[in-house]
Amino acid sequence: MSIDWVEFLAEAIRMATPLIFAALAALITRQAGMFNMGVEGMILCSALAAVAFAHYSGNMWVGLLGAVLVGLLTGLIIAFANLSGKTELYLTCIAFNLAASGGTVFIMYVLTGEKSTTSGAFRSYQIPNIEIPFIKDIPVIGRIISGQSLLTWVAVLSIFLVWLLLKRTRLGLRIRAVGENPHAAESVGISVKKIGYTSFAICGLMAGLSGAYLSMSYVTFFMKNMANGRGYIGLSAQNMAGGEPVGSALASLLFGFSQALTTTMKNQTNFPTEFLEMIPYAATIIALGVTGLIAIQRIKKTESAKAAGKE
Amino acid sequence: MSKTQKIETTMELVRTLVGLLIAYVIALVVLFAISDDPVFVIRQFMVGPFTSARRIGSIINLAIPFTICGLSMCFMYAVNRFNLVPEGIFMLSGCMVTWVALSLGESLPSVVMVPVLLVVAILTGVAVAFIPAIMERKFNANVVVVSLMLNSIIGYLGTAILRYKLRDADIAFLGSRKLPAAASLPKISSFKIQSGLFIAIICVVVVAVLFYKTSFGWKMRLVGENPSFAKAVGLSAVGVSFAAQLIGGGVAGIAGATEILSNYERFQWTATTQHGFDGLLVAVLAKKNPALVPIGALFLAYIRIGADVVNTTGDIPTEFVTVIQGIIILLIAAESFMSKTKNKMIFKAAQKDAEAAKSKAAA
Amino acid sequence: MADEALRMQNITKIYSNGFIANKDVTFSVGKNEIHALVGENGAGKTTLMKILFGMEEPQEGKIFINGVEEKLENPLHAISKGVGMVHQHFMLLPSLTVAENVTLGVEPIKNGLFDFEGAVKKTQEIADKYNFKIDARAKVRDLSVGQMQKVEILKALIKGAKILIMDEPTAVLTPQETAELFEQLFTLRDDGVSIIFISHKLEEVMYICSRVTVLRHGQCMGSYDTKGMTEADLSKLMVGRDVVLKIQKAAPVLGKPVISIKNLVKINSIGKHVIDGISFDIHEGEVVGIAGVEGNGQTELSEVLSGLGSFASGDVELNGTSIKGKSVRQIRDMGMAYIAEDRMVEGVAGNMSIKMNIVADRFTKKDFKSGIFMNDKKINATVDQYIKDFEIACDNADQPVRMLSGGNIQKVVVAREFTSGANFILACQPTRGIDVGTAEMIRKTIVRKSREEKTAALLISADLNEVLECSDRLLVMHKGKIVAAFPKANEVSEETLGEYMLGVREMSKEEMEALL
Repeated sequence: MSIDWVEFLAEAIRMATPLIFAALAALITRQAGMFNMGVEGMILCSALAAVAFAHYSGNMWVGLLGAVLVGLLTGLIIAFANLSGKTELYLTCIAFNLAASGGTVFIMYVLTGEKSTTSGAFRSYQIPNIEIPFIKDIPVIGRIISGQSLLTWVAVLSIFLVWLLLKRTRLGLRIRAVGENPHAAESVGISVKKIGYTSFAICGLMAGLSGAYLSMSYVTFFMKNMANGRGYIGLSAQNMAGGEPVGSALASLLFGFSQALTTTMKNQTNFPTEFLEMIPYAATIIALGVTGLIAIQRIKKTESAKAAGKE
Repeated sequence: MSKTQKIETTMELVRTLVGLLIAYVIALVVLFAISDDPVFVIRQFMVGPFTSARRIGSIINLAIPFTICGLSMCFMYAVNRFNLVPEGIFMLSGCMVTWVALSLGESLPSVVMVPVLLVVAILTGVAVAFIPAIMERKFNANVVVVSLMLNSIIGYLGTAILRYKLRDADIAFLGSRKLPAAASLPKISSFKIQSGLFIAIICVVVVAVLFYKTSFGWKMRLVGENPSFAKAVGLSAVGVSFAAQLIGGGVAGIAGATEILSNYERFQWTATTQHGFDGLLVAVLAKKNPALVPIGALFLAYIRIGADVVNTTGDIPTEFVTVIQGIIILLIAAESFMSKTKNKMIFKAAQKDAEAAKSKAAA
Repeated sequence: MADEALRMQNITKIYSNGFIANKDVTFSVGKNEIHALVGENGAGKTTLMKILFGMEEPQEGKIFINGVEEKLENPLHAISKGVGMVHQHFMLLPSLTVAENVTLGVEPIKNGLFDFEGAVKKTQEIADKYNFKIDARAKVRDLSVGQMQKVEILKALIKGAKILIMDEPTAVLTPQETAELFEQLFTLRDDGVSIIFISHKLEEVMYICSRVTVLRHGQCMGSYDTKGMTEADLSKLMVGRDVVLKIQKAAPVLGKPVISIKNLVKINSIGKHVIDGISFDIHEGEVVGIAGVEGNGQTELSEVLSGLGSFASGDVELNGTSIKGKSVRQIRDMGMAYIAEDRMVEGVAGNMSIKMNIVADRFTKKDFKSGIFMNDKKINATVDQYIKDFEIACDNADQPVRMLSGGNIQKVVVAREFTSGANFILACQPTRGIDVGTAEMIRKTIVRKSREEKTAALLISADLNEVLECSDRLLVMHKGKIVAAFPKANEVSEETLGEYMLGVREMSKEEMEALL
């Protein structure tokens, strides 16, 4: 039993890409003060939109655009229910994810007559992978970094853009203001609703890219329940990093490793698959526990340190 | 003030009905749009579930797990913890019950076997619900995310147990060996209705009494409405919500066991069954009131059977019902849905009162 | 009036719970005028101002700004029309800097990005113009309350406010800060800003305002020039009868100590000593008042005593037993009753029935159960009796508490806490924001229980009249310490009290011991 570790690392990056987008999506709404579990359903809808738009237009870029637009639209739907309809956000997201899981299958069936995958009915399109000259010839690193999807590089760029948005722009300042104290923001004429809608829209863009990556890059078809918890994992990743973009990306990478471990071992060993499949989910639960514990310990420590220091 | 309260109560009911109606109309419009023979399909969807005794029986049978799962989610919802683990518990409880039943074999009579299995189911539910609850309590981990992840794990765990421990090698598909006869719940003869119905009715009564007639139920509702207040009057908010989640888990366990023992001769689920989410819908419809849960469950069962009928006779996939389900939750839980109408009515009532007072003063 | 900056005409606002907050209110403010808006708590001042600031939509009425009718749909719109509001509870973002807070909503932009240096410059400019001393780069969480208020005013000014609403601005200020604020308000007025000054403090109104509009139970009682009015005239208009603040009470007969606090210290999460070595006893049959500017440790003290908050060192003994490590339940069983500061958070569960709220602290007791079930008969009888005793205006005991008025909600709270059988009553701001009648009932009951039932009471209140009149002994808290003690509360002058509250003076330990 031998494992190809280089392939494993390349796979980890492939697995991390949609998670980074998902984490950034969740992060934007979190900065605006909302715990958005709807990312899961948004990714799912976008993934279907990507293949459908690409198939009917015959152009993969239209597919990508379609995914992003549908992501945005689904973001606005959740925003509408939560901000205008005043439905509790948890309930909104649970309801939305429920509708998305059934709705994507339903729409897939209406479009293709299939209920599990579009691979037979829709032409497949793949977002190009980027071969980087010179680097691709370096033995190990070349195989890991070169040949990744264009969207992987978009993900890396997005980390920076989201950071820039939050820390250096007016919109970012307003998003953070709304997240910290919505009444204060409202009192200076910032529309909490508008900022909420905007952050959901940006969240939708990110979720759209995540979905497009799944159905046009990682594989080239849509499959029932394809998001498979990635929205929740991304949400946990940004939670671990306390809403910081770079930290969230690193946490996503960590979850990417755990998913890659599953696929790699599934392909290269004969360990029972059910247990391998549990790894990413178990990793998420453990990560949530550990980060929670660290946060609690830190608070305790500073409290006792301060108490000791002052007395 | 009396008028205000009346308006609020009436509007709450009207809102729920209008929400259901809108969702229902959307369902009809969707069917109309995609079907080749819309009139036939829509008639099937609306009236189909009532066209035979067997179908009416199916509605009631389907409402049984919905009711018990709805009760389970009432506990979570009442203490404001969206612990979605009943979804996983339903499957795992079915799995564990099968495992125990197969191990016991035909050694026990039905009167002993069934209670033993129900206890196993409850313990399974409590144990599983413990995980997200303790994760939140000790590590401040988000209970929704943990429970969703846990559901995914359970989906694989249940399948693994089935594949490696319970599998009947003699059948073509992945299924367990046949459950012993003593383990299965009998049907109530003529309408093919399960005796699980009695379990569901008992559960509704017990849970409703627990909610409204015992101090634990009062505690739970107070903690759910305002945890700070509960703390200030000396209730242990954390402890109560923790206990409520465990009980909710136990109830979900009963649901899974009842389903397996009445409708299946083998355990054969390889994924979670959506019953937990159905339970959430029912709890939302019932406004966390256990006594109203059966009504919500019957309604859900009705549109599900309608979708099934359409699926078999009109070739429309049943998945569209989940979309309708989502819309229903959104409409019913949306505070601002029809709030303008309500406020207008209250305004009018208040104005009337004011004018009456004025004319009285003038006189 | 040619130079009328604002006119609000025939404003009617009814809230969704049926409460009529404003009824046909009309008033106007001139240019270069500081106009007072006075009325009791709940008279509708805040609602009226929320309407002016676009935060609430009136069912009827018109608003004219500079003679032009405006529909103010949201704060943004109101701001664009030159309306600015300084809220009673500051609307600030503690983790951001002063400059970011001030420019939020009108952020300077450079190359498409937020221009922090520009924000600092703009803030500094406007602060200099009106002679505000403030560090634009400081984080708001590090500022004093007075400075925070300056940030609030700057926020309005930078957006070009010409009509400035000040909602009880002096409630949280020291007299020195208040004096400084008034100077700044005069500067603003002379600069062409119209100021609407909402206050309960009539002497302040008489001092800085030229005209005053009085609201009573949501209705306008007219506008008057302050010249030629006396405070007594105003108070008559506000409440319709002379304010009776004297509470008749017999001299206390002290018994043994009920609660004794020894060297209590509490340190908060940022390492500040919010309670800094407090010691005092309260005996059977006496009411001890704690005066102090809000935020000097009173809230934390009540949290510790009620068992909701922990403490670092020292000890508290209730009826001879230490409360250290005890749960709220245990402390209540040891004889504590608690009227919480914020009734909607810790005093009631709004969606729950009056019944459940009244018995919330005791339904787990054996008396209210029969077997494993609740004893409905007993509970209903008890609750109905209390509804009668405390004159709670409601349809029936099953009505959700949120449908009641503020005063009736507080009656539900005291119906629970006064009847729990406790011999120590911890009352925090027990009459805040409620009608005079209920307030009087609550104050009188606290005193009566100490005289007739020998309870010990600790009254923590920002209402000076209240602590002075109800208390037997009075303590003053400043920066987490007891800085003064007076054996006879009703003989203390407000001036003396003010000096201690603001930390201008401080009694030594010996002085305090000698006095008590």
